[in-house]
Amino acid sequence: MAEPLTIALPKGRLTDGALALLARAGYPVPSNGDNGRKLVLEGADRRLRFIMAKPSDVPIFVEYGAADLGIAGLDVVREAERDVYEPLRLPFGYCRLVVAGKADRPDRPLRLERSPRVATKFPRLTEAFFRRRGLAPELIVMSGSVELAPLVALADLIVDLVQTGTTLRENGLTELRVVLESQAVLIANRASYRLRAGEVRALIDALAANVMSKT
Amino acid sequence: MPAQVFSLDRPLPEGVRDLLFADAAAWRELESTLRQTWTAWGYREIILPAFEYADTLATDVGAEIDAEMYRFFDRQGRTLALRPDMTIPTARVVGTRLYDQPLPLRIAYVGSVFRYEPPRAGRQHEFGQAGVELIGAAGREADAESVALAVAGLRAAGLPTFRITVGHVGFFRGLLNALALPEKLAGQVRRAVDRKAEAELAALLVEAGSVAPAARAALLGLPRLTGGVETFAAARPLCLNARMTNALNDMETVAELLDAYGVADVVTYDLAEVRDLDYYTGITFEGFAPGLGFNLVSGGRYDDLIGHFGPPQPAVGWALTLDRILLARELQGVIQAEPAADVLLGAATCPACLRWAAAARARGLQVEVDPLGLAPDELWRSACARGISRVVIHDRDQGLVVRNAAGQRTVVADDWEEVLRWRNR
Repeated sequence: MAEPLTIALPKGRLTDGALALLARAGYPVPSNGDNGRKLVLEGADRRLRFIMAKPSDVPIFVEYGAADLGIAGLDVVREAERDVYEPLRLPFGYCRLVVAGKADRPDRPLRLERSPRVATKFPRLTEAFFRRRGLAPELIVMSGSVELAPLVALADLIVDLVQTGTTLRENGLTELRVVLESQAVLIANRASYRLRAGEVRALIDALAANVMSKT
Repeated sequence: MPAQVFSLDRPLPEGVRDLLFADAAAWRELESTLRQTWTAWGYREIILPAFEYADTLATDVGAEIDAEMYRFFDRQGRTLALRPDMTIPTARVVGTRLYDQPLPLRIAYVGSVFRYEPPRAGRQHEFGQAGVELIGAAGREADAESVALAVAGLRAAGLPTFRITVGHVGFFRGLLNALALPEKLAGQVRRAVDRKAEAELAALLVEAGSVAPAARAALLGLPRLTGGVETFAAARPLCLNARMTNALNDMETVAELLDAYGVADVVTYDLAEVRDLDYYTGITFEGFAPGLGFNLVSGGRYDDLIGHFGPPQPAVGWALTLDRILLARELQGVIQAEPAADVLLGAATCPACLRWAAAARARGLQVEVDPLGLAPDELWRSACARGISRVVIHDRDQGLVVRNAAGQRTVVADDWEEVLRWRNR
């Protein structure tokens, strides 16, 4: 039997949606019981092998071909700017990458800001967003709770992911602009797309059928 | 081992590296294999300068490469650049020096190129490129020759498994004409096709509003036009204009020729490939190997380039990355042995030994002479440490004595039949 296709899945908020979609598409997935410390898991029918990765690493696994396919947030894919195919948008993981600031900040257009200090986990997208508007942001790249930054005057603004907006509200922040509407996407390695065309196509079609039937 | 005093304070600049013995040997062998291959097809090598005027290299057809060039100044303050690829210098040579030579020209090259791009899959800022260009032939026959030669090169390189995907920019360009979208939307469609983002195409069509149903169907069907020769039959009904039909006819003929060349088993087709759409004018192709997520070789038809330097000429060619071929081969289990001599010969001062060494070398044996005057046992240890499997010494009573892992015995000095069997290769 041939090697299974390797798919990189993001650990965290997208895990359940990704596993559920794959299961609906007819691919046996590791049960939550397996889904603890092991980072590489085999599917029961040996068609898929699963790599459980940090979300921002998924595009890297896929670009290098360490994984043939991956599921990641569009936000992460755009930030990573890796050379991968994006055959399918998936119907989960909806969120927005937004610019937010303190709720009591003066109400004026962003373009009149001097040189805002912006805390974010998405430096590339943030830089591009502000540069396009003629602003030179001072980026503070963080890896933890970005919402904290304006509260302690570390930053004027933040660029972060928002699902419901509750976290922002609870911290006295308000959404100012949408940088990117995000959702889960299926990404594919350029070489695997060709070298394993049949299996990759079968998986895309199986997922697509489920995406359609849901919407 | 005694503590060594050495300096760690000699870093290499980003993007360059040394290749040590086994890697260097693999590299040179690959070069020579490729050279034999293209020579057998009638291609002749040229040697190009490592740097030229930046203006020459930065033609408007390669904007992406332009941003990646290493630039510096000469003493008059003119901007120079290290060559980011070899096709543009080759086009300059053809346009400015070879424009009246009998056609077609078959040109090959090998050497380092330099780009500021993040190191990926064996490629540093300096990496090795080998390639061929077939100039002055516009037809499908030339396209097929170029693809077939790429396959021949990869096969000769000893790469067990690989695949070449052939596309054609004319098909997508024709489709864009038929769609007649506003410029911004056309750009978005092109980027979506480039990323194989099938679902996005539907969304973009909604945005476009009134698009003819046939054009809509063609765009939505495009991402599936990839696979074997059956792809052409699927693509035929989607052709909306002469440009698309011509592109498809080109592909079909090239596929037939590739079958005749005996390379059809490693070639697939992809009409949705739109990379470097502004540079290429006809077929395009890329080669991939398992385990390496990046392309090994890429090429295509570029009929507009040579006209930047002289009388326009149709041209088709490819370049492969030596570093990536070697890496892909290693991933498939082809490991280059550490190079070692066949024989370590004792006594640098012994005339009989030196005469024997000269005779052995003339017959193709690799002979190292011990310059340190080691005693026989030390000599054997030294050979073992460096992977040399035989030691030869001159014994006053017995004449030439050979020692290997099996033991020690006398050799008849002129029994070359036996000695030649010592060769590693």
